[in-house]
Amino acid sequence: MNILVCIKQVPDDSVEVSMGKDGKPEIDGITPVVNAFDTYALEMATRLKESLNDGSEITALCVGPESAKNSLKNCLAVGADHAYLVNDESIDDIDSIGIAEVLKNAVEKLAEEKGKFDLIFTGKEATDAALGQTGIYLAAKLGTAVITNIIDVKVEDGSIEAKHETEEGYRVIEAAMPAVLTVTKPEYDPRYPTIKNKMAARRKQIDEMNISELSALDEITAKIKKAAEYEPPKRSAGIKIKEESDEESALKAIQMMVEAKVL
Amino acid sequence: MAYIISDEAQDLLNDLKKFCDQEVVEQAKEFDKSGEFPKEIYDKAIEQGYTTLEVPEEYGGPGLSRVDVAALIEQMAWADAGFATTISASGLGTKPVLIAGNDDQKKHVCDLLLGGGFGAFALTEPGAGSDPGSGTTTAVKDGDSYVLNGRKCFITNGGVASFYCVTALTDKEAGAKGMSIFLVDRDTPGLSVGHEEDKMGIRLSNTTDVVLEDVRVPAENLLGKEGEGFKIAMKTLDQARAWMGVVSTGLAQRAMDEAIAYTKERKQFGKPVLKFQAMQFKIADMAIKIEASRQMNAYALNLMDMGKPHSREAAIAKCFASDAAMWCTTEAVQMFGGYGYSREYPVEKLMRDAKIFQIFEGTNEVQRIVTANNTIGRF
Amino acid sequence: MRKEDTTNNILVYVETVDGAPVKAGLEALTPAHILSEKNGGEVIAAVLGKDISEAAKRIAASGADRVITVDSEELAVYNLDAYADILRQIIEKEKVDAVLLGGTVDGKDLAPKLAAVLETAAVSDVADIKIEGEKTFFVTTEYSGAIYCDVSIDDVRPQIATIRSGAFKKPEGASDGKLENESLKVSDDVVKAKVKDTVKEITEAVNLEDAEIIVSGGRGMGSKENFGLVEQLAKILGGEVGATRPAIEEGWIAKNHQVGQSGKIVSPKLYIAAGISGATQHLSGITGSDYIVAINKDEDAPIFSVANVGIVGDAMKVLPVMIDEIKKIREG
Repeated sequence: MNILVCIKQVPDDSVEVSMGKDGKPEIDGITPVVNAFDTYALEMATRLKESLNDGSEITALCVGPESAKNSLKNCLAVGADHAYLVNDESIDDIDSIGIAEVLKNAVEKLAEEKGKFDLIFTGKEATDAALGQTGIYLAAKLGTAVITNIIDVKVEDGSIEAKHETEEGYRVIEAAMPAVLTVTKPEYDPRYPTIKNKMAARRKQIDEMNISELSALDEITAKIKKAAEYEPPKRSAGIKIKEESDEESALKAIQMMVEAKVL
Repeated sequence: MAYIISDEAQDLLNDLKKFCDQEVVEQAKEFDKSGEFPKEIYDKAIEQGYTTLEVPEEYGGPGLSRVDVAALIEQMAWADAGFATTISASGLGTKPVLIAGNDDQKKHVCDLLLGGGFGAFALTEPGAGSDPGSGTTTAVKDGDSYVLNGRKCFITNGGVASFYCVTALTDKEAGAKGMSIFLVDRDTPGLSVGHEEDKMGIRLSNTTDVVLEDVRVPAENLLGKEGEGFKIAMKTLDQARAWMGVVSTGLAQRAMDEAIAYTKERKQFGKPVLKFQAMQFKIADMAIKIEASRQMNAYALNLMDMGKPHSREAAIAKCFASDAAMWCTTEAVQMFGGYGYSREYPVEKLMRDAKIFQIFEGTNEVQRIVTANNTIGRF
Repeated sequence: MRKEDTTNNILVYVETVDGAPVKAGLEALTPAHILSEKNGGEVIAAVLGKDISEAAKRIAASGADRVITVDSEELAVYNLDAYADILRQIIEKEKVDAVLLGGTVDGKDLAPKLAAVLETAAVSDVADIKIEGEKTFFVTTEYSGAIYCDVSIDDVRPQIATIRSGAFKKPEGASDGKLENESLKVSDDVVKAKVKDTVKEITEAVNLEDAEIIVSGGRGMGSKENFGLVEQLAKILGGEVGATRPAIEEGWIAKNHQVGQSGKIVSPKLYIAAGISGATQHLSGITGSDYIVAINKDEDAPIFSVANVGIVGDAMKVLPVMIDEIKKIREG
């Protein structure tokens, strides 16, 4: 099978972002990483590839800056066989719909050289903007099925069956291939890259395309306009209690809660 | 001032840091309490290839420079010194083979390491610590094999190794000159694991007696020639010492990081205690010692990579870095005040972990002897 | 659609579960009124499914001016493609200026799906709406809630948005909306994925959004057994049990208890956080609470920066004392 995994490079989401002096979120100093949900997508795709064990291959695709090549190399170390970067440094006003348009054109271009993709995996959302839209837009543009928020996938006789997570459990959803799958956190964690795979990945070539080769810029300009970004009002810290023993601290806290009439 | 390393080592270091943060740092607290060997942590490290850093490239290793590997080992030590000790001691157990072994012997141990095994170096005996020449373990030639008898003690990885490099006297009368080294696989009949030490620190590592009762090994398991054992053992320790400097430095760095984090937050007299110059000077002294250690380690390791003499430099690095680790961890406890002495805070463990580095792989007294001898020369 | 082709009306898709409207859907009626009142339009609710006339009545009584019901066998089981197709037909007929959906799992899928088929744009997870002159700004969040962002959809219509659960209260007071039935059919060839089975793993209802008291536990609780202390305290206080993502991933409690950016955004009168360090992801979900009490061993934990009362200590020792004391207070 020919599998594509679309990834986004985002600032490490364990670091708290604050506003910079230029009125934009300050993210330059934060380590760029592969979006967590995309790492789940790649892990799920890799497990599928390993279980099929039929020579299926995974291509990782990223629309992002030059530095995202490093993220793609990390993907090569944990399951991807090939990696492509669509360099988007020439455009800054793009939203999910625009990204999906670029991805669609990239998918069609890659299909010319590698054959059509049977499955396209991506994270259900990115940890930076958390919109949860790109996979759905991409499927609509490609005219394929989309199954969102999946935690498991099986391939049977040319069709797929996936578990789509809901608030109370899951739905079992079936679709023909090709299809787009957006992945949420499954029961397992993504594997760590082994030293051997990492060294091999570093030596692999990452092919690059420019965004302007794929889409006319006016077609992908954002429809959603950002007017302002700012930090939400912060709560101020109250009192810290640290008595001789935890028991005394607990009693003191109770007393304060009683005084504040919250009990 | 970290080690100056290659881009690929930097990349591996980022992965390793993530691994250690998720799989080692928190988990180590419990295993420090129980003293149990955390097999699940080591299994994960093995899967990643973290136990094969020192395997030469021609035998399937990653082909990193020693300083590249040092940056990785330091990170492991930062996470837990016992964890780093296990991995580094496996390297120690492999060194006699890499120094004196033939191609078959090298391939054999490297394959064991790549397959997830550990090595151990079995030199010390109850009556032979700083004076290894006074050992009583013997190896008697019998046809095409040697028969080993004796008891080794304080063997790191003693209970978990797949292979041992065992020193034994092939000529009892000749003292150190009668010592030889044998490669002994774990499953060799007669080899058993004895008493396990309940240690003060580095409790994620395994330290045991190794008992040899009529252990028969084929003659081709002799490393080098008969009588070369002492020389090989000394060369082994010359190399290994620099690695103990590396582990010590990671431990010292952890102590400094913990001390900074705590004293930034801890308020007395209305301000963070780190605002007091008395605290700042302690941090400065820690930084100076840590950075000096690192450069000493790097210098010794670079000499090794270049194939140049390094006995003096490795001894200096080990001695300085382990004294620095002891000092930094002790001062970190001091900076935490009463909480530093509490097991609920992280620094008392670091202090317990640090002590052994002044003792094993040649006490710091022995390091000073080596340094003096190599500095003064014969007179 | 172009702006000049639309009416001033606003459509709200109200999801139903077991024949009843979901809270997030009813809440979306409130921002719909904010938008419709700007230019004097109506709030139209759409309700899709099978046997949903009771739900439609409730929605009509809960603030919608009109309720369009599409009740049919082919909508008996939710299907993204089918539901989006029916909504597209309603939207094209009504030519609404905006479509709002509750920020549920399905709402979050329907919004971009509709934006794709209608060639417009969708905004996710709206926490507030600002009207400045002719312009409408949707307030959304980025970077796990650390940054707020005002965005607008200027050139295309309808504007589509999912409304963050709990961001708006349901409209107050009764209304008498007009009920309309539409018999719309799902178009041929739009359904590309089929729902074969629906599995409910969680049966217990958790209402974190409306809770006045929430007691939450995080990774610092250490084990499922210790997490029981959190549940005990919640029970004594008559509150709900919350949890952080790590606690849920450890399997100490079901995922519908998750509080935070990727779980529920809560605003109780009292929020007690035990063994929670306070990642942005979690904090951004609790800052609307009136009074926060935090218990954590680590004095540097970010949770203390938002807590009214912070107890530096071991939750395993603090919680039992709190449980005993509160029992005494309640009994006395």
